[in-house]
Amino acid sequence: MAGIKNGDDFRDGERFKGASLLQKLCLGLGAGGTILFFVLRYATPANTGAMSYSWLFAVVFFLSLAVGGLFWTMLHHATNSGWGTVVRRLMENLAILIPVLFVVALPLLISSVGFRDALWEWFPLRAATLSHSHEEAVKEQAEYVAERKAGIDKAKQEVAQAKKDLAELSSPSPGHRFYMEREITSLEKKASALEAEDLSDEGAISTLTDKHFLHSEALLYKKRGYLNESFWWIRQLFYLVVLGGIAAVLRSWSVKLDKDGDPRWFRWMRRWSCGLLLPFATAWTFLVFDWLMGLDYAWFSTMWGVYLFSGAAFGSMAFLIILLTLLRRAGYLRKVVTMEHYHIMGKLLLAFVIFWAYIAFSQYFLIWYAHITEETKFFITRNTEFWNTYTIAFIVIGHFFVPFTALLIQGWKKKPRILFGISVWCLLMHVLDVYWIIMPDRGPSLTAHAEKVQMLIPGAWVYDVLAFVSVAGIFGYFLLRMLRSASLYPCRDPRLDESLNLVN
Amino acid sequence: MSTSDHSKKELFGYLAQFEDATALYHAAEKVRDKKFRRWDVHTPFPVHGMDHAMGLGKSWLSVLVLVGGVCGSLTALGLQFFTQVSLYPTVVQDKPTNLFTIPAFFPVTFELTILFAAFATVLGLFTIIMLPRWNHPLFNSPLFSKFSNDAFLLHIEARDPKFHHEKTREFLSEVGAARIEEINY
Repeated sequence: MAGIKNGDDFRDGERFKGASLLQKLCLGLGAGGTILFFVLRYATPANTGAMSYSWLFAVVFFLSLAVGGLFWTMLHHATNSGWGTVVRRLMENLAILIPVLFVVALPLLISSVGFRDALWEWFPLRAATLSHSHEEAVKEQAEYVAERKAGIDKAKQEVAQAKKDLAELSSPSPGHRFYMEREITSLEKKASALEAEDLSDEGAISTLTDKHFLHSEALLYKKRGYLNESFWWIRQLFYLVVLGGIAAVLRSWSVKLDKDGDPRWFRWMRRWSCGLLLPFATAWTFLVFDWLMGLDYAWFSTMWGVYLFSGAAFGSMAFLIILLTLLRRAGYLRKVVTMEHYHIMGKLLLAFVIFWAYIAFSQYFLIWYAHITEETKFFITRNTEFWNTYTIAFIVIGHFFVPFTALLIQGWKKKPRILFGISVWCLLMHVLDVYWIIMPDRGPSLTAHAEKVQMLIPGAWVYDVLAFVSVAGIFGYFLLRMLRSASLYPCRDPRLDESLNLVN
Repeated sequence: MSTSDHSKKELFGYLAQFEDATALYHAAEKVRDKKFRRWDVHTPFPVHGMDHAMGLGKSWLSVLVLVGGVCGSLTALGLQFFTQVSLYPTVVQDKPTNLFTIPAFFPVTFELTILFAAFATVLGLFTIIMLPRWNHPLFNSPLFSKFSNDAFLLHIEARDPKFHHEKTREFLSEVGAARIEEINY
């Protein structure tokens, strides 16, 4: 009751200044690291495969933070929340980095860099199978067409013969006549069906190519409606437009609200966030299907999208707490953010520790129990050699039991310093979770045709660190730029009073 | 209101009414600072920060819930390991019957943890607030029935060691009580 804050005292907002040295450092690390990484890529072409996984790891990790930021922004609007108005701008600044990260992801998508075919084996496999099938089709084409034409001629002769038979009958009974006519109709149908087949050069080759494709790679053939290059590019565009577009629109409205205080922006943000949650979820789900589940095109899990979503929301909340604490340590947001905001963010972090574990375990549990060869592959890889220890230490204990136990304690969630420590741990575990999702596939994939299949590529971790630092630098640079470009909290939001005086 | 009318009855305490939530909040802060222990406030809606104004510590309930939850986990795990692993090893879908059967036991463990924690919450809450009971002296007051409508009330019990027949009444008027009632058993 005492000391109620009036939102009118905070209408000027708070501008982020300083940290210019850090921003330059980030730019240097980002640009220098990226240049070094791609110089290494072209200097040592033998390592292209190993390096492609490194870049994917770094991009997916930072993209998950940005997508998590977008999720928290949209959730905030969709539920008409008041608590987090003072920290919402941080979420928006995180989300707006999605387009930047799509640019960073371009080397993965453009096939000439060599990363795409190394990561997603279905690209080269499909191309090879198609060209092989095409060759076979060309060889068989002439014979096939002749065979089909002979078939058509034969069918036509049968029709003519039947008609002749009918005409020759002197006085058929009505039943016999009816029977004969029906026979003629069915033979005519058969002949016209045979004639309908496209027996031009193109048509015959296409039919034969499909046949050979099915025979040599049945699974890829059955999935050809989804796993083909043109649809793949359409999807990538869809992800960029949906995720990047929502982030850009929501942030621009929010910044406009800062300037003119027109409640229309506030209403629009709330209204659109509900409906846009569906395309948002679709885009992220299929993005991780394409980028991560696609690492092994034979493997599938229907929980994959929600698993990556829970990790993204969790990692993003941990990152927001860290960012908030660092900003406060540097002297910003001290008047607007209180222990109560920390408490709520800590509670959300706890909720998402549990949600993540629930999804991760459910996925494991179903695959473990069902024991289907295509599905168990994922966990068998992650239970082999080094990865077994890794899974137990980091995914089971580090990612769930440690933060779960720590966050259960109410007092710790109210102490920014302790919550900061827990968040650093959580973010580290999110890094290790993304690493665990991508890297176990690297050794077996790249050494599949070698004498001995290896679980790990020796020395490849250096590229992982380099890629991570490079993308972190780019991410940090643009994040600092975004923090600078507007007030640190939405200063004219109608819910500002409520958020300032938050009590749990 | 003279006290002599009720001299034969035993005093339960004073019930004071305040104008609004703000007045009650500040009064609660002063009662807290006077180190009264047996007192409470009654409002038509939850008042944010009232626990702080009353100087209430953290509730014991969360400890009880934790104990309930841990008991639930241990019960479920014990029950399943004993019956499915040691007493009568049950092989399902070629799964092992040893420590590594544990994924199969998680759903039940999860459920029992929540069930026991929920029981601990409900029963613990009732124990802490000492419910159920047949009656309460506060119900003798017609004023008290208004707390769920529009009255902001505060009562101090006579059992409180700091309680004094006159001084406490004066104190309540000082902190801004609009109306003070005596409540008897």
